Amino acid sequence: MLALLLLCLRLLRAEPLAYPAVISPQDPTLLIGSSLTATCTVSADSRLRAEDLYWTLNGRRLPAASYAALGATTLSVALARLNGSKQQSGDNLVCHSRDGGILAGSCLYVGLPPEKPVNISCWSKNMKDLTCKWAPGTEGETFLHTNYTLKYKLRWYGRDNTCQEYHTAGPYSCHIPKDLALFTPYEIWVEASNRLGVAVSDVVMLDILDVVTTDPPADVHVSRVGDLEDQLSVRWSSPPALKDFLFQAKYQIQYRVEDSSEWKVVDDVGNQTSCRLAGLRPGTVYFVQVRCNPFGIYGSKKAGIWSDWSNPTAASTPRSERAAGGCEPKGGEQNTTLRRELKQFFGWVKKHAYGCSNLSIKLYDQWRVWLQKSHKTRNQVLPGDKL
Amino acid sequence: MLNVAGEISGDSWGIFAFLCAALCNLPAVPALNGTDELGTGQSIQKTYDLTRYLEHQLRTLAGTYLNYLGPPFNEPDFNPPRLAWAERVPSATVDFDLWRGLTDNARLAANYRAYSRLLCYLRGLDGQAGTAELRHSLGHFCSSLQGLVVSIAGVMSSLGYPLPAGTAAAAAGPPAPAGAPASPNDFLKKMDDFWLLKELQTWLWRSAKDFNRLKKKVPPAVVTLRLEAQGF
Repeated sequence: MLALLLLCLRLLRAEPLAYPAVISPQDPTLLIGSSLTATCTVSADSRLRAEDLYWTLNGRRLPAASYAALGATTLSVALARLNGSKQQSGDNLVCHSRDGGILAGSCLYVGLPPEKPVNISCWSKNMKDLTCKWAPGTEGETFLHTNYTLKYKLRWYGRDNTCQEYHTAGPYSCHIPKDLALFTPYEIWVEASNRLGVAVSDVVMLDILDVVTTDPPADVHVSRVGDLEDQLSVRWSSPPALKDFLFQAKYQIQYRVEDSSEWKVVDDVGNQTSCRLAGLRPGTVYFVQVRCNPFGIYGSKKAGIWSDWSNPTAASTPRSERAAGGCEPKGGEQNTTLRRELKQFFGWVKKHAYGCSNLSIKLYDQWRVWLQKSHKTRNQVLPGDKL
Repeated sequence: MLNVAGEISGDSWGIFAFLCAALCNLPAVPALNGTDELGTGQSIQKTYDLTRYLEHQLRTLAGTYLNYLGPPFNEPDFNPPRLAWAERVPSATVDFDLWRGLTDNARLAANYRAYSRLLCYLRGLDGQAGTAELRHSLGHFCSSLQGLVVSIAGVMSSLGYPLPAGTAAAAAGPPAPAGAPASPNDFLKKMDDFWLLKELQTWLWRSAKDFNRLKKKVPPAVVTLRLEAQGF
């Protein structure tokens, strides 16, 4: 008898202050707009009564008008038209004793079931892997934590596979690193689930070869074209990973002046690995980038996905001669005039001076006199004529 | 070596006596590793610095996590009851005289045991909690905390103290959720999370004082003898 009593006491003591009260329902999940009546029952060995209790929701005291005593040790509260949970860990509904102490609590999960994820788009880097991203249905605000699972399977056979590496390209993305088959289409879909339900996106069907992207072109070199002031020559090599497959690859070049943010795009580069830019400004620094689209890889008839742009390469066009103004215009003029005169002098020497044996300044003066005479007869000599 | 400002604790006498005996037997002693002189002092300093760094990191992490738990958990004077499970989280609060009188070994062991357990529980925090950013911060903090555990172990071994039994696994790495008993409901789990963060804060505050004290009692001039197991 005594042993039994001791055993009972032991059992009672096993849960001392652990649970001074119990709330029901404990951690419920509810739809937005629904109502809830919760009860708080103090444990039998507590000296508290229903009138000693009060409720708070997320730290704010609930009005006593919504309370009802359902017995000596039980107080209920009525909550109507609940809003979505303030935090994804659940609203904190707490039962307190008169002095503010916490007796028990319950986490309310109020929200909406998930919407179908939409806009699934995928790309494969060099046919080695597959990354997909999607958007949550609506704005994604379900107030509850929503789990997304990307699933895929080969179209006509095979079992469902689940993607494991999430958030690789943003919050709604997943990366499949290996074991992908080519030449057979895949079915891909996303399942969204939260405490209130599950939603499955539409199935997207794709062939890995139709969504291939690659690295930017390598070894981009930009150089001048001889002395041409308005041209630059761009050369690159095809991205190394797909080097042997890019027969029909397309390239695009974009370039801009150093201090401008406006890019000019050259679209019709085709599958050459070099191109000449023309119509440029002389003496200007240009930044050039190239990207690649692995179009038609392995016979795919669809456009691939453009790679990222290569790192910008800079080069400058030659400075124009004419544009070098302000230097020494008079000097230039003099040189040309002198040269012309010399030419004429030598011509006269050949004709009239029987060779160059007595070439002297005297001869030069003689020629100048002759020049003056011939000018007088050929043209009207005007005052101020050069001597 | 015993450049102590206050009383000399039992352990220090032991070390002194041991050292005398060792020096008397000098020819038999294999090697006096002189480079360890600075090692211990630096380890203690490093551990102290780590606690300050973690304290700083925790302030931000705790703020974010408590906001995730929602009011009233993130209210400044929130003080829920410490229920049954929460009591299993090692408490940093201790009687002052008791704390002052701790031997170096006991002081270090208490820190080591506490952080090993705290790390274990921290790793068991909800893996789905909040935003990816919060999960990332939690992960980063756990790594830093593991660094602290390892650092304390380093100090203990350089002073020749054995690691407390049964806690080796915690420092080894992977999370042991089995070590953290599941709370019976979500609200109680929130309270447990609250107390976990609270205790972590208190421990880091206390550890700074522990290592400050150790710094003074174990100056760089301590010579650590590395001896083979025979006889010593």
